[in-house]
Amino acid sequence: MTDIATPTVEPMTSGSRGFDSQRALRVAPVVVILVLCIVLPLMLSEFWVDRITGWIPLAIAALGLNLLTGYNGQISVGHGALYGLGAYTSAILVGDQGWPLFLAVLGGALVSFAAGVIIGLPALRIRGLYLALVTLSVAVLFPELVRQAEGLTGGTGGYYITEPQVNSRGVVVDRPIRLEAPEWTGLANDQWRFYVFVVIAFACFVLARNLVHSRTGRAMIAIRDNEVAAEVNGVNVARIKVLTFGVGSALAGVGGGLYALWRTQLFPQSFTLLASFYFLVAMVVGGPASIIGPAIGAVFYGFFADVITPELPERVKPATPLILGVLLIVLMRVAPGGVVGLARTTMARFAVARAAPRGADSESAAGEDETASISRSEE
Amino acid sequence: MSLLEVRGLTAGYGLVSVLDGIDLSVDTGEAVVVLGANGAGKTTTLRALSGMIPAKGEVILEGRNVLGQRPDQLCKRGVAHVPQGRGTVVDLTVEENLRIGAYGRGDDGIDADLQRWFELFPRLGDRRTQSAGSMSGGEQQMLAIARAMMSRPKLLLLDEPSLGLAPLVTREVFDRLAGLISGSDIAVLLVEQNANLALEFASRAYVLEAGRIVGSGTSEELKNDETIQRAYLGS
Amino acid sequence: MADFFRYLVIGLGNGAIYAMIGLGLVVIYRATGLLNFSQGEIAMFTTFIVWSFTQAGIPLWASMLLGVVAGFLIGVVLQRVIIQPFGDPHQKPLTLVIVTIGMFLGINAFAQLIWGTDTKALDPLFGNGQFEIFGVGIAWQKVGALAVLAVEVVVFWLIFQRTKIGLAMRSVASNSESSALVGIPVSRVLMIGWGLAASIGAVAGTFTAVDRGVDSNLMILTLIYALAAITLGGFDSLVGAVVGGLIVGIVTEVVPRYVDFLAKVPLAPAFALILIVLLVRPEGLFGTKRVARV
Repeated sequence: MTDIATPTVEPMTSGSRGFDSQRALRVAPVVVILVLCIVLPLMLSEFWVDRITGWIPLAIAALGLNLLTGYNGQISVGHGALYGLGAYTSAILVGDQGWPLFLAVLGGALVSFAAGVIIGLPALRIRGLYLALVTLSVAVLFPELVRQAEGLTGGTGGYYITEPQVNSRGVVVDRPIRLEAPEWTGLANDQWRFYVFVVIAFACFVLARNLVHSRTGRAMIAIRDNEVAAEVNGVNVARIKVLTFGVGSALAGVGGGLYALWRTQLFPQSFTLLASFYFLVAMVVGGPASIIGPAIGAVFYGFFADVITPELPERVKPATPLILGVLLIVLMRVAPGGVVGLARTTMARFAVARAAPRGADSESAAGEDETASISRSEE
Repeated sequence: MSLLEVRGLTAGYGLVSVLDGIDLSVDTGEAVVVLGANGAGKTTTLRALSGMIPAKGEVILEGRNVLGQRPDQLCKRGVAHVPQGRGTVVDLTVEENLRIGAYGRGDDGIDADLQRWFELFPRLGDRRTQSAGSMSGGEQQMLAIARAMMSRPKLLLLDEPSLGLAPLVTREVFDRLAGLISGSDIAVLLVEQNANLALEFASRAYVLEAGRIVGSGTSEELKNDETIQRAYLGS
Repeated sequence: MADFFRYLVIGLGNGAIYAMIGLGLVVIYRATGLLNFSQGEIAMFTTFIVWSFTQAGIPLWASMLLGVVAGFLIGVVLQRVIIQPFGDPHQKPLTLVIVTIGMFLGINAFAQLIWGTDTKALDPLFGNGQFEIFGVGIAWQKVGALAVLAVEVVVFWLIFQRTKIGLAMRSVASNSESSALVGIPVSRVLMIGWGLAASIGAVAGTFTAVDRGVDSNLMILTLIYALAAITLGGFDSLVGAVVGGLIVGIVTEVVPRYVDFLAKVPLAPAFALILIVLLVRPEGLFGTKRVARV
């Protein structure tokens, strides 16, 4: 132990400066993303709109992981399992029970929420490395359970969200149940799907943002930074931690449910340990402990998987997780705050360069505040 | 030429600078104390000297600037550091603690040295196979000092050996220490809050306040200095 | 009864493999305070190396030993290139968990890149023979696994308790700062710790591969069983890894035989074991009780 405590530096408050860089930084990406979301489906081909739609569930699930790990300091290596649970639940509710699509997604979210709370309960006693261990086991166990529960999930053969329908030649065929555009919109199905997903995602991100800025959110962060201190200050640590696990998992469930609606077929191998790892990659790339970070991370991952990977020569394709693995390690080393952390540091530098030279200290302080977001939880 | 010559040493943690340009020197065989209140930078001084934290300035050991070397490299050059809170490795036995003290040594006199320490401190000998964590604070302090001596240092850095010990035990530790180094040419740089004992033990002293050396002199001079008396001798 | 005895023997044989991976995890945990999630992948990678040597006509025994050497080198390189730049692992275990996950992804993909995705066959080290006790046939391979495990435990115990480097590793694990101050080159000690832990993966992999062949998924399930083993035995106990490994081996073999719905999910009892131990006795059967660092 050092004889002087490591300073905890408050993030730079920029109110005193003419140019409110913090606020601009927060708002600008949101505006850019919203504009892109509106314009892209009108510009891209059906194929690409469909692909990009598939990135949205990832973003929502990564957001859930970020609440849990980035904001609350509880590491989860099993997020893919909760995503899968949401996906299968929603799919079965639609395919077997005939639930309306959105109600089924909600059902998936609730089931994932419940599962999250159940995992979160032992997490009150199990933390750090041990929690990583337990969630890792959940991640490996989940696809095995799906394979085993063949009657319910279709096992290795997969689950198809379909309904029987008589086709034009009078033959009964299984037709996938998908989200279709109402006439009045004048939109193609793929465009409609994209917009609906975006609206749901936007709602999730706004909810998460409000949560983080609420009393509960401050308690989450306080627990991450110093659990004992939080407890002493009257935070109900147990309640907050279990709640965060539940909410983070529910978001994974929403993501999973939307994935099911988008894909209309589910296989256990889509929800292995690797899936959980990819959520971690998305979170770390985008920026832990930032709201917009998971969206950026999901876009990065989607772009990587859907745009870059298909361009690679066949021989090199197995190497794609290698690239992600290396990226994960390098990022943890050079930019543990991810893209958002880098942007904040850069903006802070920029703001300081414009301000008086005296600001040198607060410049690095602002950068440090973000990059410390994961490691700080470990003291 | 002194054994250790420190010029303009600055160091800190993160953004907070703790040492603001320290100058001090220690001669071969000499015992020197740095007095200072809590937070004055005493521990930081020693940590900077033994390479545990990055620092700027010059740390000249036997005519060579050794600033920037790692603790284990400095240990090989003859700097042994007994950290605050003693730093005994509680999961190892007493004998194992002494043996790691000799880690950097390649000679075959290690077993003989061990025997010598067990004779000097019979209590360590009695407990050689017990875990170091099972010993009392005073015993652990003696173990930590003995362990540092196992590296056959030229310079012993001691960080508040009195911390957490009863006054009588503290006195015993200092007496033992004085006995160990008298007649040898081992130099000691001690940082202490307990000025009474430290000034008895050391021949020279520096006064550290808020990261700066604000006074120095022989122990006799400082004992008779009024400000020092008021600030550190509690009279 | 004879059936039960047969399951027991199979379970012990499997348990020996879990214990071997568990030993590697314990060695790294003891040396660095880190749970290395890429342990199984390093073992998988070195098993591919063993396979490559056998393809070059080198006998399996010798190939395995070469794999051990290769594993040591890989461990050393991983520590030097990836782990060491992060500084003291005790300070940021969660960051390093994510880093070992990155290593997991990277090593797994790298193996596929080099050796492709199809499964390679590896012969049993102790042949296909078996002998009978109480009318139950027992494969030499299973007994061999236990014998090799015993050798590994003795070797590691000797290294930790009887050598200078072993003493240094224990010292660094317990208090890296003090260790540096007494002249132990901490970073080099950690490097050797990683090398040792990675070296035994080739042995565990060679035994695992007999039943299922070598591919990039070789160790994913085994890693979970090994984690269950060291959770049960205690993260920092070599003996615990062995006892835990054998118990996990038996439980995951025997329980599903008698409990129908677990027949295809032998992982479930292992998971239950992890959860129960962490809740009831987090330090495990043989581990040192200590305040959690995180």
